[in-house]
Order: sequence, then structure tokens, then C-alpha cells
Amino acid sequence: MVRFITTRLATTIIQLAGLALVVFFAIRALPADPVARLVGLNASRDAYLSSQKSLGLDRPVLEQLGAYLGIIPGSSGLLQGDLGRSWVTGSPVAEEIARVLPITLELITVSFVIAFLISVPLGMLCGLRPGGVADRITFGYSLFAGSQPEFWWALLFIFVFFAQLGWAPPPLGRLNPMSSPPPFVTGFITMDSLLAGNMAAFKDGVHHLMLPVLTKVFVLSGPIVKMVRQNMVRALASDYVLYARGSGLWPARIAAIALKNALAPALTLLGVLYGYILGSAVLIETVFSLGGIGQYAVRSVLAFDYPAIQAVVLVIAAISLFVYLALDVAHALLDPRIVS
Amino acid sequence: MSEVVVPRLAGADRAVSRPRADWLFRFGCLIVMLSLVLMVIGPWIAPYDVGRPTDFILEPPPALRDVPRLLWLSITNAPREPVYWFGTDSAGLDIFSRVIAAPRADVAIALGANLVSLTLGSLLGLAAGVARPWIGALIMRTSDLVQAFPVFITGMILVTLAGRSIGTIILTLALLYTPIYVRLTRSEVLTQRQRGFVDAARALGRREAWIALTHVLPNAMAPALIQFSVTIGFAILMTAGLSFVGAGVRPPTPEWGLMIAAGADQIVQGEWWPSLFPGLAISITVFGYAAFGNGLERRHAA
Repeated sequence: MVRFITTRLATTIIQLAGLALVVFFAIRALPADPVARLVGLNASRDAYLSSQKSLGLDRPVLEQLGAYLGIIPGSSGLLQGDLGRSWVTGSPVAEEIARVLPITLELITVSFVIAFLISVPLGMLCGLRPGGVADRITFGYSLFAGSQPEFWWALLFIFVFFAQLGWAPPPLGRLNPMSSPPPFVTGFITMDSLLAGNMAAFKDGVHHLMLPVLTKVFVLSGPIVKMVRQNMVRALASDYVLYARGSGLWPARIAAIALKNALAPALTLLGVLYGYILGSAVLIETVFSLGGIGQYAVRSVLAFDYPAIQAVVLVIAAISLFVYLALDVAHALLDPRIVS
Repeated sequence: MSEVVVPRLAGADRAVSRPRADWLFRFGCLIVMLSLVLMVIGPWIAPYDVGRPTDFILEPPPALRDVPRLLWLSITNAPREPVYWFGTDSAGLDIFSRVIAAPRADVAIALGANLVSLTLGSLLGLAAGVARPWIGALIMRTSDLVQAFPVFITGMILVTLAGRSIGTIILTLALLYTPIYVRLTRSEVLTQRQRGFVDAARALGRREAWIALTHVLPNAMAPALIQFSVTIGFAILMTAGLSFVGAGVRPPTPEWGLMIAAGADQIVQGEWWPSLFPGLAISITVFGYAAFGNGLERRHAA
């Protein structure tokens, strides 16, 4: 088990290192001119050159890489845990990301948990009676939900629940602009407001999460239901279920046994899904102006803010790879066969 | 005992490969064909110019009860007021015309990107399956690396820094989707190259590369071709998503994602039509491609 985790961890770190290098060279190889974007097209030649110098873009690429990685003496870079400073705001990228990342993680984790809680019983129900009415309806739903533009559904939900019914708050951020946010502890608004004992902020936070989470759950449940159902059918067709049936166990007990075996392989796929959702959170954040890491990514990309772009890719890839790793380990704990 | 259990098991086994839903497949075929036709002729049959504003700003679509009468009038070519079936947007552009012209951007990008990555991916997958082990390992590790990138954000970065043209979107999506085809083709190649006809060709003294291209590859394409349909759907979603956040094709190109973004501010005020119809088009199209792919998959499994 220890060896399994060590090898997986080593692979993950090598992948991240490769990723950092590829991003670094890719954005410099593309025909974009960040200096012109920052100083404006009408800037004088001198302003252009001095800006280029202050960004360090006048140096040879390998020297820039050295500074980015932090292997040049006297510089601080990735190896020192320094993600650099944003070219647009001038503040450390790591600080900016620490502020926006929890917003995204809160949204997608809450959505994931709710989607999972809905999907597992639903998938189980379908798996118990393959081809039945429930199965057909759920199958249609999962095919449909898995192929929908979530940003459009978010707008539809806003139209119905905000513009028509008035149940939801306007899609203008994470909290009511009039209310004061709770002090920053974890960055998760719901958790921080509870820690501060601020029930009004907690309610407001949950209220503003309502529609984004609804949209995410609607889209996410599709693939999860499909996965649980598929694994459940497979588990129910196995010999140990046959044996359990032959032993005269209650159907509920048999279903519980099958469920454990059906969920174990689903964990790996959940890891992949989490990473994917994290990377595409930008769409839902844009609709609701949540100001998470997705919107930060769009801002940095459109401003050609290279340090921020590199950092965003690295942070998101790192989180998805580690979630993936953690779920793989959990899978191995549930099913020792895959370690060998 | 066994008489009771065996039919159950057989039933369960069959059910692993999806409940029957043939009308879904037919629906998928219809949508796929419609989208391809609109990709070619969409901009030509649009009733209004997709780039020239009409005199009406934010004109709502006709009420449902008026639709039959208006349809009749337009079929019989009777003189009538100008009709904007889906209304007009905040710039006064006719939404219906733009919705049916948009496949020229969305579907063409998705199709182009997938054709590139299907070609590239299946050849690389073939190489990974039949060439020397170190080449195979190199290809697979590279695929791993590409797949470790967050898809949407990487797409945003590449497209924006490379200049936000249709060509760069196609190349970016092609790059991101190639590993999928590499993986599918490779695993199928590994099973196909054990088959008798490969040994037979080898016994005839054919060159290995020739065997790989003419015998192994055609037989190993099925999973990649099924994936093709599903991935086109995803590529449409991604193209629309990229332009929705402002990192895709540039306005005023008629494109579904851009149109939804343009209507997003109106929807908060209760003006639903500028965003509803382009989104409906994406929703139906991508679902159609998914249903088509699902039908192909079941046919292939059966």
C-alpha cells in the first residue's frame, strides 16, 4: 500500500513538473504580445521597452525559465513556493488565488455532494430493475443532462427563479453587496459565517449558492447516475450476489453489499469528473459573477497576465491530480485487488 | 435452483448494454443531419441578413396563438408585416436568422477539430499499439500529460493567445481531443493485432507497416468512430462556452455561445428570447449527437 501511494505520488509530481514546463513554453511560443497589451497599442517605443524590461521579457527565455522555477540564485520561484506577481495588479498571484479558489471549491464541492446523494439512490434503483420504467426515464435524463450547456440552464433558472418568481437573489455575486462578509478564515463563505456566528451572512451565503448549485447538480447528476447504475448492474450479476441470494438474504441487504462494490470503481471516475468540473467552473461563475478561480482565469487570460495564467493552470491541475490520487487510494483501500 | 437463476443472470447481462430506445437513435440521426445541412446552407437560407440590424430593437417573438396565422401567410407569400420568429436582440439583429446561420461556426469548428484529432489520434494510437515499445510509451505518456491539463482553461489560454480565430479554435480543440482517440485506438489495436487475419497477412510476407495500416487500423477504428459523434457534441459545447466567456470567436459572428452571452443581461430583466433560442439550439444539437453516438455504441455492442 505504501509503495502504491509512493509511486502514484511520484507520477503526479512528475506530471505537474511537465505541466509547468509545457505551460511556460506554450504561452511564450504563441503569437501574443503581452507587452503591447499592457502598455496599449499607442505607447511610445520607450514605454514599450521599459515595460518589457520591468516584466523581464527582454531576457533570454531560459533565463526567464530559471527565474520562474527559482533556480537562479537570488530569485524566488516555484521551488520556493512563489508563484510570482501578477503583471496587472502587481500583487502576489498566490495571495490572489488563495482568495478566489475557496469560492470555486465551495461551489463545486457542495454541488458534488448533493449530486452524489441524489444520484446514488437513483442509480441503485435503476440498477435493481434494468430496463424498467425508472431505468428508462433515468437513462434518458442522464444522456440529456450530460450534454447540456450549463451556462444556458443557469440563465434559464435565473429567469424563472429570479426574474419571474423572485425566490432567488440577483446573480450578482456570492453575497448581498449590502451585507458585510464574515472575516476570512477558510474562504468558504458558509463556513466562515458559521465560525463567526453570523447567521444572517450564512443565510445570505446559502441563498446565493442556491441557483449555481441547482444548475451544477442538474448537469452533474447525469454522468454520476449513469456510472452508479452501470456498476450496480454489473455487481448484481456477480457470483457473490448470486451466493447472497442463494443464502436467502433480504433484498435490502443484498443491495447494500452490491452497492459497496458498485461504488468502489465509481470513485476513480468521480475524481476525473471533479477535475473536469473545477476546470470548467468558469462558465457558471461568469453567469452568477461569483468571482472564483474560473473568473480569475478568464481575467488573466484576456489580460495576457502570464504569471497568473501559469499559476492558475498549475493550481487547478494540482488540485485535480491530488483529488484523483486521493480517490484512487480510497479505491485501493476499498478494493485491495487493484494494489497488486 | 439453476433454472431460477440463469434467466435472471442472462437478463442482467443484456441490460448492462443499455435499455432499448430506438427512437432516440432516430432522433439523433435527424439532428445530426439537420446540423450538417444547416452548416452548409444555413447562412444562405436565413430570412434576414445576419450582420445588418433591423429597425426593431428587442422585438419579442410573435405570440404562440399568432404563429399558425403568420406561418400560413408566409407560406402563401401573402403581404404581411415583417415577422421575426425568434424576436430580435438588443442590436436589432434577427435571432432566427442568426440561430440557423450559427452551425457554420459551431458545427464546422466541432467537425473540423474532430476530423483532425481523429486522423492524428488513430494514427498515433496505431503507432502506440504496433511500433517499438519505447515509441508506444512516449506516445502514451504524452497523452497523459495533455490530459492532465484542465481542458476548458487550457482551451481559453491557447485560443486567446493564438488570436481567437476559427482556425485556432479548431487546432486547439483538436489538440485537446487527440489523446481520447489515441487511447481508444491503441487498446483496440492491441486486441486486433492478435487476430488470425494479421497472422495470415504476415505469412504472406507483407511488410509490418503495410499490415498495420491496411489490416489492423480499419478493424480498430470502430470505438474511435463511435466516440467521434459524442466528442463533436462536446466540441460544440466547448466552442459555445469559450465564446460565452469572451475567449472564443469574435462578435459579430453568428455563434450560439456569443448570442447567449449577448442576451444574458436581458434575461435578468425578463427578456428571455435573445438567450433562449440559441441555447435551445445548442441543447438539442448536442443531445442529438449524444443520442446518435449512444445508438451507434449499442449497435456496435449487439
